[in-house]
Amino acid sequence: MNIYIVIPAYNEDQTLTQVLSELKKDYSNIIVVDDGSTDNTFQQALLAKVVVLSHLINRGQGAALATGINYALEQGADIIVTFDADGQHQVAEIAKIIQPLIEQQVDVVLGSRFLGQQSKIPLFRKIILKMAIIFTWLISGIKLTDAHNGFRAFNRLAAEKIKISQDRMAHSSEIIEEIKRNKLNYKEVPVTISYTKYSLSKGQTFWDSFKIAKDIFFKKIIK
Amino acid sequence: MGNYLIIRIIASVFSIFAIFKVLKKYRDKNISFKELFFWVIIWLAVGLVFWLPRFTTFLANFLGIGRGADLVIYTSIILIFYLIFRIFIILDKQQQEITKIVRHLAITEEERKKEN
Repeated sequence: MNIYIVIPAYNEDQTLTQVLSELKKDYSNIIVVDDGSTDNTFQQALLAKVVVLSHLINRGQGAALATGINYALEQGADIIVTFDADGQHQVAEIAKIIQPLIEQQVDVVLGSRFLGQQSKIPLFRKIILKMAIIFTWLISGIKLTDAHNGFRAFNRLAAEKIKISQDRMAHSSEIIEEIKRNKLNYKEVPVTISYTKYSLSKGQTFWDSFKIAKDIFFKKIIK
Repeated sequence: MGNYLIIRIIASVFSIFAIFKVLKKYRDKNISFKELFFWVIIWLAVGLVFWLPRFTTFLANFLGIGRGADLVIYTSIILIFYLIFRIFIILDKQQQEITKIVRHLAITEEERKKEN
């Protein structure tokens, strides 16, 4: 089975090298999508000797993910895992997240920080995330325990079917909607998120959640 | 009345100028016939409103709105909203096209590197 790890990265040179070196111990097909970073993200990814796709200008995380997924599909990927560059996901948990795909139970596996053993989540962040869950539930009809987790795995069928047209952060909700629209089977698997000062500073703010809602509503109107 | 004439002339000159612009755009095939039609009607209506203000009053009364001037403002606002909406759609489409180009460049660059 060809397992590809796709990592969207925008100005992540503080953590990227560490994340890549850990990933390389277990996985050989790693794709970093440098989303027009202005720091040394691109150079560090090159030094790590992984595949680096470079967006000439910043297009947002959704766009970067779609680029990586497209490329992985072209390379003949059977399973595509999306992983964050800021070090909040655990490499050891990739095995757990792809297991249901290998066993052909489902098409998509979504990481959830609220299932099973709970990660220590700052209260304010928890409120935002819970709001996102309700919001995603309202617009897609799918009730998840964690709607905005970047740790996911798709089989080839799902990766081909899911179309990400939201370039920015609203892609998380869009992916859920696409799962529903394409009638894909999915499963949530508990994952641990390590919150560091750095990953929190890179994460979504309260205000960003309004921007995400705006992006989703706008797409709904013009479709 | 004298002041009103000045306004009328300014509005007419502006309308005629705008219609010429639109016609030129159509000749250069920058806009479709539908768009040409739309804009000529709009600018003719603008000219008409200034020369025959009573016409708007008539229309307004017909639609149950008190004054002609109110009708003009209502329709203008609706039109502006519509145009802004159109611009938003065009912008969104362009954003997606930019992403497509950026994505294509990123992937072909990597494939080119691999071949060498």
